[in-house]
This record gives sequence, structure tokens and C-alpha cells, in this order.
Amino acid sequence: MEHPILFISIILEKLGLPIPHGPVGNTFLEKLCEPYMTYTWFVMIFLVVVGKLTLSNVEMIPGKGQNFWELIIGGMNDFFCENMGKELTEKLFPMIATFALYIAVANIIGLIPGFMSPTSSINTTLALTVIVWFTHHVIGFRAHGIGYIKHFLGPIPILIPLMLPIELVSNIARLLSLSIRLFGNIMAKETLLGILFLLAGGFFAPLPIMMLGVLVSLVQAMVFVLLTVVYFSQANEHAH
Amino acid sequence: MAKLSTEMVHVLGNYGHIGFTFVAAIFVGLGGGIYLDEKFFDGKTSPWFTLIGLAIGIAAGFKSLFDILRTQAAKPDDKDSEG
Repeated sequence: MEHPILFISIILEKLGLPIPHGPVGNTFLEKLCEPYMTYTWFVMIFLVVVGKLTLSNVEMIPGKGQNFWELIIGGMNDFFCENMGKELTEKLFPMIATFALYIAVANIIGLIPGFMSPTSSINTTLALTVIVWFTHHVIGFRAHGIGYIKHFLGPIPILIPLMLPIELVSNIARLLSLSIRLFGNIMAKETLLGILFLLAGGFFAPLPIMMLGVLVSLVQAMVFVLLTVVYFSQANEHAH
Repeated sequence: MAKLSTEMVHVLGNYGHIGFTFVAAIFVGLGGGIYLDEKFFDGKTSPWFTLIGLAIGIAAGFKSLFDILRTQAAKPDDKDSEG
């Protein structure tokens, strides 16, 4: 489905850069100019600039901007500590918090006309998921050494031939479900908004979907982070 | 109203992914079975690995379902023991 208007693509086209007209570009430069790539950079620049503007001088008595970040970062820190313990939180807080902020902003930005959600492309969500998936195995191997394999062997030695494939399949399914859940929800929101806008944009038909879109965006960002935290804590704890 | 909506977001976050997790496990099992049948054994063993993979996938789906329920059920107990 063609997006109606994407202003970054239009600006880049005016600058003479090749914009792919299909979903995937052919040359390296076209791949770099795909909308989900440019809007990923936009979200990153947005987060960096907003962080810089609001936190350039950190004070004892916080102002408006610092208060906002203290609320968000403090809330996330408490949530992670509650779910996966202090040690892991200290190590992994920057990564998971960055994922949370990035996914939340990337989801919500698609509601503004002229923008698209980078997370409505499977490439973005799969990249995030692969990072999480490898990290949770790395955490497992670092915490238990080679004994991490016990996580995949089930409770009773006799049941190993039955439990090993089941555990492996359910572990690989994490890769699929985590990426396609985020991608599917956000892509559905974007497509639905586009279709309703084309059909009856003059009668405010997309408005209810936009309200649902805010909910979906926040819930999906929360689900991704919650599942990341759960996977990390499961990999870190002893085999049941 | 505010409490209700935060609770709804929490419930959606905790349980809204059950359906997708279940389906993904079945598809991974089924896909693995089809791959073994068609590519690895060149279709000689045709329906068998597909069926075994499907069974394993369904079992893995139920296993991940129980995992979700167990982790969610374990949470309030932890809070009670602490407080």
C-alpha cells in the first residue's frame, strides 16, 4: 500500500536522492532512502534532540523537562527492578529503556499525517527482536555457563526426548511472535488509517481509529518491553 | 476512570499477547516439519515429519501458554511474601 504523503521522502526526492517506489529498493542508496529507514533516523534524532534540550543542565530542583524524564525513567527503573532484579537492571537498563522509548515514539509518530511508523516494517521489528533474542541467550550462558542447557531439558530426565523439541520450538517461536506482533499491530493501524482517510477523510472517519491507535501504540510498546524483561529474567533464574 | 484505564493497559499488556504466542509456536513447529519433509528428505517421508512437527508445535504452544499463566500467577505471591 502506498503511503499518501511522506514529507521526508518528498524532501529527499527534491534533494535528488533516489526514493524507491516499491516496498524495497534496488541499489544501496535506494535501500537507505526507504521510508522506514529515514523515519527511523527521524525518531532517533527526535529522541536525541529532545533529551539534549530538556536535560542540558540537570539541577537539584528539577524543572518541567527534567521532571518529565525523571518520572518516565524512574517508573521504568522501578518496573524493571521489580521484574528482573537489581543486578540485571543495572546492566541492561540503557538497552531496554532505549527500546521502550524508541518503540513508543516510533508507534505514535505514525498517527501524525505526513509521518509513518518505522515499526510498521518487518525489518525494524525483526532487528529489535533478534537483538533481544540473542541477548537473552547471552545472559543465560553468562549466568549458568553450560548448565543453561538445563532450561531446555524439562523437569524429568526421562522426558528429555519429548521436552527438548518442545522447548526449542517454543523458544524459536519467541523470535517470530515478538517481531510479528509489533509489526502486525502497527501495520494494521497504518493501513486502516490510510484506507479510511482515502475513503472518507472529509467526514473524520479515521478519528476513532486514531484514538484506538494511541492505545495500541502504547500497549504494543509496553508488551514488547514486558516480554523482553520476562525473557531476560527467565534466562537469568535457575531452571525449574 | 484513570485507574480503570491503567488496569486495562496492564491486563492488555500481560495477557494480550497470548493468542499470538500460541499461533507462532504452532507455525514454527509446522514450518520445521514441512522443511524436514520437503527439503531435507526430498518428500520421501512426506506427511510424517509435517504431522510430528505440527504436534510438537501445538505442544509448544500450550507450554508457552502455561508459562505465561505461571509467571503471571507467581507475581502477586512474590509481593505478598515481601510485604
